[in-house]
Amino acid sequence: MAVCTGCSLLCEDIEVALDGGKMGKTRNLCRKGLGHFKSIYLDRARPAVDGKEAGIDEAIDKAAGILKNAKKPLIFGWSNSTLDAQKAGLELARELGAVVDDTSSICQGWIVEKVLRKEIPTCTLDDVRNYADVSIFWGSDPSSSHPRHLSRFSYYPRGEKRQRGYEEDRTAITIDVRKSPTADISDEYYRVLPGGDAGLVEAMISVLDGKIPRVEDKKKLISLVTNMKKSRFGVIFPGLGMVYSLKGRKELLDALVEKLNQSSRYSVIPMVGHYNMRGFNQTLLDQTGFINRVSFQDGVESGPEHSVMEAAKTCDAALVIGSDPVSSLPAAVARRLAGMPVVAVDPHRNLTTDVARVVIPSAASGLEAGGSALRMDGVEIKFDGVVESERMTDLEILARIKEGL
Amino acid sequence: MAGDEMRIVTFRDIFQSEAQEMGRYSQEYQDLSAVVRLDQLDMKRLGLKDGQRVAVEGDSGTVVVTARTSDESPHPGVALMPNSPWSNRLVPEETDESRIPEFKNLKGRIVATEEKVKPISELLEELKG
Ligand code: SF4
Repeated sequence: MAVCTGCSLLCEDIEVALDGGKMGKTRNLCRKGLGHFKSIYLDRARPAVDGKEAGIDEAIDKAAGILKNAKKPLIFGWSNSTLDAQKAGLELARELGAVVDDTSSICQGWIVEKVLRKEIPTCTLDDVRNYADVSIFWGSDPSSSHPRHLSRFSYYPRGEKRQRGYEEDRTAITIDVRKSPTADISDEYYRVLPGGDAGLVEAMISVLDGKIPRVEDKKKLISLVTNMKKSRFGVIFPGLGMVYSLKGRKELLDALVEKLNQSSRYSVIPMVGHYNMRGFNQTLLDQTGFINRVSFQDGVESGPEHSVMEAAKTCDAALVIGSDPVSSLPAAVARRLAGMPVVAVDPHRNLTTDVARVVIPSAASGLEAGGSALRMDGVEIKFDGVVESERMTDLEILARIKEGL
Repeated sequence: MAGDEMRIVTFRDIFQSEAQEMGRYSQEYQDLSAVVRLDQLDMKRLGLKDGQRVAVEGDSGTVVVTARTSDESPHPGVALMPNSPWSNRLVPEETDESRIPEFKNLKGRIVATEEKVKPISELLEELKG
């Protein structure tokens, strides 16, 4: 069985037939996962220096030179690398005195941090499959982002205490600005306006306190909260919708979960996107006491000034591993990155490799390289590669760059 | 005629994610990314037809995409765009103290245009400056 690294569910039941050393038929992958598997034969990155094809040794030497000469290098990405590669990357970061940030900084970071610091209760996805009776998809749309979430864990499957699955035993509630594919199949859909999540949480807390909420459709909200309260094992799956909407009122999530836990049991599992973002946040927390936005310039420091959004303004070179910030960050920030010497380590060609001064192609983890990662619920999943590859792993590349310093 | 201001929310779509896995430079990725989905009421109000090109004009930039009638209605006043380098032209660099960009709560006006959707290679050239 192979493991899919297409998202942070790290599905472990993937069957792959090999056809003369190449990947042949696969089974159990979702559409996104199948795209991920097929991608190893498409649009691969090639070693390059200054836009010209180069040997891998030359590319690594050049990368080491750029990073060594930078006054303040940024190392960004991380969430598509194995735990061991992340550790090797942090050794390199310490040696360079680099600023380190990952994709969590612009997405799920603050909720992951609450979970990792045990400020809000959480559980595993196996607990969800076995016990959960209410799954709340809040600003998340697993049918699009984590396509097998509902079938493997949160809605359809039979579990130890949930023998009747979604037909009788489970309730799915979706809270979102749009009637997403997940909302479509949920038992209940509650529409929130953009930026309206904080108001909704406050209204829910009022209802839980036995007060009349200040919302237009009081009946609908009271019925929603009543259904949430009835649960014996409820789980909230926050997605980017909630992350962005509550970022200025983070304490409201704690308050709501605490309130819900007075009458039933509620946990939170953030819908982490990349397959090992949680692993990076955990690794960095273990090593430094912070989950992201860390500077090794002068000891260990963390703060918003070390976020990728700020670092793009203050750093003078960047090493990007397994990520495409030029594509995923606001255009003005992407432009700043494009304007500095970038070393890109990636299995694929993307916008970041196209602006990079040095491109170092890597083996795709889970497909061409083994390792381990933390699933979105923190469970460690080990995997092997599926096919042989000549490309170096992230781990090897980062170690080689460190040697090259 | 100028359209009035709408909220723009970015989101992820499975078909687009699949296309992204298969290659950022494919026509399919562009077709699934450079899109704005509008409530049918808004389509009518703005006098737009499904498949028509529109300019989405925000404070931080303008981008030309294809307008589609949303099948996730009702969401009048809210325009949905798949998260991509096209939608990222509208996201401001300035943030609040969280330093998290406003990917999901943008403002913009939507107006019909004759201009073409820029392919990703052109967006990239512009980023390189
Ligand atoms: S749900 Fe995620 S991990 Fe599972 S097959 Fe799909 S992309 Fe891969």
